[in-house]
Amino acid sequence: MKNGTFYVEKASIVHDVDPLSKLLFVFVSVGVTYILSTHSFVLGVLAITLLVLLLGKVLQYIFPIIGLSLVLIFSIIIVQGFFHPDRSTLWFTIGSVPIYKEGFSYALLLTLRVLNMVCAFGVLILTTKPDDLVQSLIRKGMSPKIGYVLLSVLQILPQMLAVTGKITDAQRSRGMETEGGFITRVKSFIPLLTPVVLNSINDTRDRSIALEIRGFNSTSERTFLHETNHFKYGFVIKVLLAVSLAAVIAWRIFI
Amino acid sequence: MKSIRVEQLKYKYPGSDHFVLDELSFTVERGDFIGIAGENGAGKTTLCYALSGLVPHFFKGSYGGNVFIGDLEVYTHSMSEITARVGLVFDNPFSQMTGAKYTVYDEIAFGLENLGVPREEMHRRIQKCMKQLKIEELWNVNPFYLSGGQLQRVAIASVMAMKPDILILDEPTSQLDPQGAEEVFQVVEQLSAQGVTIMMAEQKIEKLAAYSDRILLMNKGKLICEGTPAEIFSRDDLDDYGIEPPVYTSAARSLKFRQHTPANLPVVLGEMPTFGLEKLSLPFPHEEAVDVKTAEIVVSDLSFSYEKDSEIIKGINLKLSGKPLAIIGQNGAGKTTLVKLLKALVKPQKGEITVDGVKTTDTTAAKLAAVIGLIFQNPNDQIFKSKVLDEVMFGPLNIGQSPETAKANALKMLDRVGMASKKDENPYDLSLAERKLVAVASVLAMDTKVVIFDEPTIGQDAMGKVKLSLLINELYAQGKLVVCILHDMDFVAETFEHTVILGGGRVLFNGETRTAFSQDELLREAGLEQPHVTQLARRMGYTGILLKKSELH
Repeated sequence: MKNGTFYVEKASIVHDVDPLSKLLFVFVSVGVTYILSTHSFVLGVLAITLLVLLLGKVLQYIFPIIGLSLVLIFSIIIVQGFFHPDRSTLWFTIGSVPIYKEGFSYALLLTLRVLNMVCAFGVLILTTKPDDLVQSLIRKGMSPKIGYVLLSVLQILPQMLAVTGKITDAQRSRGMETEGGFITRVKSFIPLLTPVVLNSINDTRDRSIALEIRGFNSTSERTFLHETNHFKYGFVIKVLLAVSLAAVIAWRIFI
Repeated sequence: MKSIRVEQLKYKYPGSDHFVLDELSFTVERGDFIGIAGENGAGKTTLCYALSGLVPHFFKGSYGGNVFIGDLEVYTHSMSEITARVGLVFDNPFSQMTGAKYTVYDEIAFGLENLGVPREEMHRRIQKCMKQLKIEELWNVNPFYLSGGQLQRVAIASVMAMKPDILILDEPTSQLDPQGAEEVFQVVEQLSAQGVTIMMAEQKIEKLAAYSDRILLMNKGKLICEGTPAEIFSRDDLDDYGIEPPVYTSAARSLKFRQHTPANLPVVLGEMPTFGLEKLSLPFPHEEAVDVKTAEIVVSDLSFSYEKDSEIIKGINLKLSGKPLAIIGQNGAGKTTLVKLLKALVKPQKGEITVDGVKTTDTTAAKLAAVIGLIFQNPNDQIFKSKVLDEVMFGPLNIGQSPETAKANALKMLDRVGMASKKDENPYDLSLAERKLVAVASVLAMDTKVVIFDEPTIGQDAMGKVKLSLLINELYAQGKLVVCILHDMDFVAETFEHTVILGGGRVLFNGETRTAFSQDELLREAGLEQPHVTQLARRMGYTGILLKKSELH
């Protein structure tokens, strides 16, 4: 992540697949969990997604990202467990807060969906170079500007982490304690926020100058340095994904 | 047709009340190499922006007059039409990367893709530019991992590949080591010989004099005069414009070369005579009345790497104490990493460092802050408060000074660096040179026993360097250990008696500055060169090593 992206350089079958097929995989994988909302089905989809991550040799890299989304997941469980409208079966209580079984079951479904969503995006961003993805989209007719915005969104977290690292160093060198227990770390986090945001805004201005002087707003027909024929299995995967999606929709309608 | 035509150009940044460019008029022939000289704030950078179209297309504000690139009027044409003909390289290498590409090769291709250059042609141009700038081995590296000097070469290659008619460079070598800087000048000169028009703003006056066909002398937004380097640098009033002439010119002046006043003085080494200093004898080094006792840093058998199998520091032994000392070495030699280790921002993998008796592995960076102050190379990495005074008080408060003492110290140091009048401003609204001063004050206010400067001369003009030199000596007189990382050999020679040369993660030399600059072979190996005044004295027959202008008499 140090190099400003989530991308992990590995030789794997998943890395060899073209970015658009992987993007389609994200949509299908997330979509089907909403079309068929049974626990076992969503769990099955999640298992497939994890398998794809394993095939891509990037399974261990997804855990920190899941860790980040844990806060969201916990709040889902609490809120749904407590507030779900269908509150008939009391399951257990946390102190005086009652948790209902229906709510919990729904929360579990949501949690599985979120986990699957995170992992599916993981397949895309961990095994695809961001510039490959954006270039594939631009070739399909997307505006380069939107492409660049997308690229920036993909980079924003890693870049903020890099800026955070530098500012932390600056603060540590002037006597602010960041090493130590949980409380110390939390306390040292707050003064970081303003400078990280301000620095990012400053960087954005410099970045736009860099883009301007490299002809980014040019209206002439763009060319591409790389041909895209080094990807494999694209057609087969797209067909498989389309068939699976159709099958799930059919299942939902007819069964 | 003229390559560049500027007529009565006036410009004011939005929200500013004074003209940064004030009635500029000049023309430039195709293939000319034009140097732009002037102190900080003279308007050099803004002129570069105006020639490349960023003013008025990116930076709005009040704009008057005309700028023509060939027959194309900048004001009425779009940025992309202008960038197809004008390339701009600026001083900060980090912010010139697009961030859209993940290898050096692809980064250079970015501009070409935008302009619609055919693929075969792209490969040809990229390879040629990489060869010219000696970055071929880096082709598959992520720009994010490169050092400042390497990045700057990538930036120049990226712009050159777009084959501009005009190349504008704003202090392009300020972050490069001496040999790296020289290489950039040579590449730019080749381009100029091939018919590319060059406009270069630069503080390295000796280089500007050696390479430029003509010089524009700017001050406070006005064009004071233009002429050949000899005409400009022989002027008697350069002091008024905050410019120091090349060391050769000052030497010629003090050695009374000029017979009659209107004649020009030599401005490059080759114009100086090859005799005259055979009998020079240095004044006997007067013994310091008191040898100030400072804190001591001991580095023993230190090794460090960020990633496995690529050691950046390879078994360093050093003892730092006493007189201020300079650490020099080429880009990527491990200087900044060494400083981070001294500050305990990173911990050694092998060996140890003791700072004033405390092992860095037994403490934290924050605890060490009361002992060592570090002034970062880039003030933007260091500044984070929204008011200058708060920024300067941050450190003192952290290390336990009472609010009153902290405030008093902060005000004293702001006054010392000449920024007292800006204490209530937001640091982000200040210029880079001013922010650098705020960063200096914010560390000095902590009153630490050791002060480390990482590349303090970057972005400073002649006046700024003189002030810095005074400050360093003053700190030593107060009993502080001062360590400076530097690329500016002239500054090293003028200010430091003790020098450490780093190369490839090892200490190549540790001793007197005068001896350091006598090691021809070693300097070449370390990507360094002798100070200009040393080269001059040698040419003129002096067999020893001369370090300061004041030693010429």
